[in-house]
Amino acid sequence: MTLLELDDVSVHYGRIQAIHNMSFTVDEGEIVSLIGANGAGKTTTMRTISGLLNPSQGSIKFMGEDITKMKAHIRVVQGISQAPEGRGIFPAMTVLENLDMGTFGRKDRTGVSEDLDRVFTLFPRLKEREKQFGGTMSGGEQQMLSIGRALMSRPKLLLLDEPSMGLAPQFIRQIFKIITEINSQGTTVLLVEQNANQALARAHRAFVLETGEITHSGTGKELLANPAIKEAYLGVG
Amino acid sequence: MSTTDGPTPLPGAKASQAAADRQSKKGGAGTSADATHKKGLFGAWSEKWQAMPRQKQWLYLIVVVLIAYALPVINPPILSTEPGNDFPLALFSMAVYALVAVGLNIVIGYAGLLDLGYIAFFAVGSYTAAMLTSPDSPFVKIPYLWTIPLAIVVAMCVGVILGIPTLRLRGDYLAIVTLGFGEIIRILATLIPAMKGQVGFQNVGRPPGEGADGIPIFANSNGTPWYWLTLTILIIVLFLAGNLERSRVGRSWIAIREDEDAAETMGVPTFKYKVWAFALGAGVGGMSGALFAGQVGFVNNQKFDIVTSILFVAAVVLGGVGNKVGAVFGGALVAYIPLRFTAIAEYKYLIFGIALMLIMIYRPKGLIPARQRLLAYGQQAYQRVRETSAKKSAVVTEKEV
Repeated sequence: MTLLELDDVSVHYGRIQAIHNMSFTVDEGEIVSLIGANGAGKTTTMRTISGLLNPSQGSIKFMGEDITKMKAHIRVVQGISQAPEGRGIFPAMTVLENLDMGTFGRKDRTGVSEDLDRVFTLFPRLKEREKQFGGTMSGGEQQMLSIGRALMSRPKLLLLDEPSMGLAPQFIRQIFKIITEINSQGTTVLLVEQNANQALARAHRAFVLETGEITHSGTGKELLANPAIKEAYLGVG
Repeated sequence: MSTTDGPTPLPGAKASQAAADRQSKKGGAGTSADATHKKGLFGAWSEKWQAMPRQKQWLYLIVVVLIAYALPVINPPILSTEPGNDFPLALFSMAVYALVAVGLNIVIGYAGLLDLGYIAFFAVGSYTAAMLTSPDSPFVKIPYLWTIPLAIVVAMCVGVILGIPTLRLRGDYLAIVTLGFGEIIRILATLIPAMKGQVGFQNVGRPPGEGADGIPIFANSNGTPWYWLTLTILIIVLFLAGNLERSRVGRSWIAIREDEDAAETMGVPTFKYKVWAFALGAGVGGMSGALFAGQVGFVNNQKFDIVTSILFVAAVVLGGVGNKVGAVFGGALVAYIPLRFTAIAEYKYLIFGIALMLIMIYRPKGLIPARQRLLAYGQQAYQRVRETSAKKSAVVTEKEV
């Protein structure tokens, strides 16, 4: 079943067009990766889906419902949750307070402790540090917190914007393993990455973005094998 | 995992963390001496305060409040502003500034919206009181005490009207726009004939009641009853602000202050809560204005300049952004210093300028930092989120065994 559908979406910053007539879908249960270089429009795409940016043209549908005009804070309640680029954690709040903020839009209080357990099982490190202030944690821990916080709203679709940014190589592998785990527990994941190797290896399907347009699409494996993509994004000539 | 990558921890967060760690290790040998050394006098006090049981805190609070009420009667020799300035009137002025700072702290401290034109709401409150009680005004006259709630309502409306178009802006841009608010009100007061520009309104009303000698209790020259009235209102406002900051609204404000986009993607209707912060702050500002107008008895367009507005911001920053107790302290201090040290009153802006620079360098979070509030909230969140979770993990470990 199609969970998210972008149809002919364009996004402008003032007069500059960042996204050109983009269309793609994300099916339930998938991991979908968007890869591309700096300035390709990856983050713009994410912010448009989460509602922080408004498209100048086109429509976005979530679970069959048109959400193009819906405000970001209502999209969370509908089931779209974002771990933003640069992590976006609240530095002066503790780990637990950060996670608690993730439940802000929820109506049910009963499922919260269940989800907290789930987050602590995925990231035991967060449980160790639950009373620590977000701003004092390392980059990797902040990334865990950002993903954990996004999960606290029990999303149907989890948007991850550059989860590997600024992390050590062995930790990048770990975070992608956790992303696969989250997906296998039933959460659909849309992820934006510069680390094409991991992003393609873990994804069911993937799209390559260049200057605001989708230039390639296919399964993760297909794209990994594509010579043009190998050369441009995987550093293999 | 690497601990060197990622953003550098904020200096403030680091200090807070150190304090929180110390708190969790309470009683550990050697840590408290270290704490006193690092956090200074106020830090040590607030840590001691945190460690106290609830009843003891209440007891101390009651004593402090009683002393505050008794101040104009005691007129303590070193603290007193006399002979230069009447001490009860000085106390009133300090209480009004404290009230202003508490209101502005909602906007700047909680929601993180830098409002440089807060004087606008103070002015709206003053004019509301003056125009509805002064014999110089062509409008309907109502009893003075009714103008206080009315000033709150009018100022809140002005806050919403000014907030809705401008709160789409962020950070520096918002600060620049708010700078214009104060000027708008001042210029309106000059241009609109009914607001009587520089001529202004004399004999603004006062609360009812006369002494045995026929002189009104709330005479302009009698600071004590005005001070008591303002202090009472201040305590009520502090109480309400305290409840607010622990509520869902308070949490949203802090999230907005920390990262507005992240707050929005957590489900916080950021725009709505920013307008709320603006409106509630404006309400407190309007109320302070009405009290000020009543005591002084005269309102014209000369009293609401931008410099006073900046002084309000200085009061909040001085005391500790985000801390209502700090705001009271900062507000009172900003009013007190020029009244107490009349010889240097002329240089007050120079002195506050230097003081602000020193504070930014040595105590960037103000004299009384806002740490304790967040910790208190942390304990709350901890309890709420963990209640059932603890039981569950107990069950899990039993299974594992």
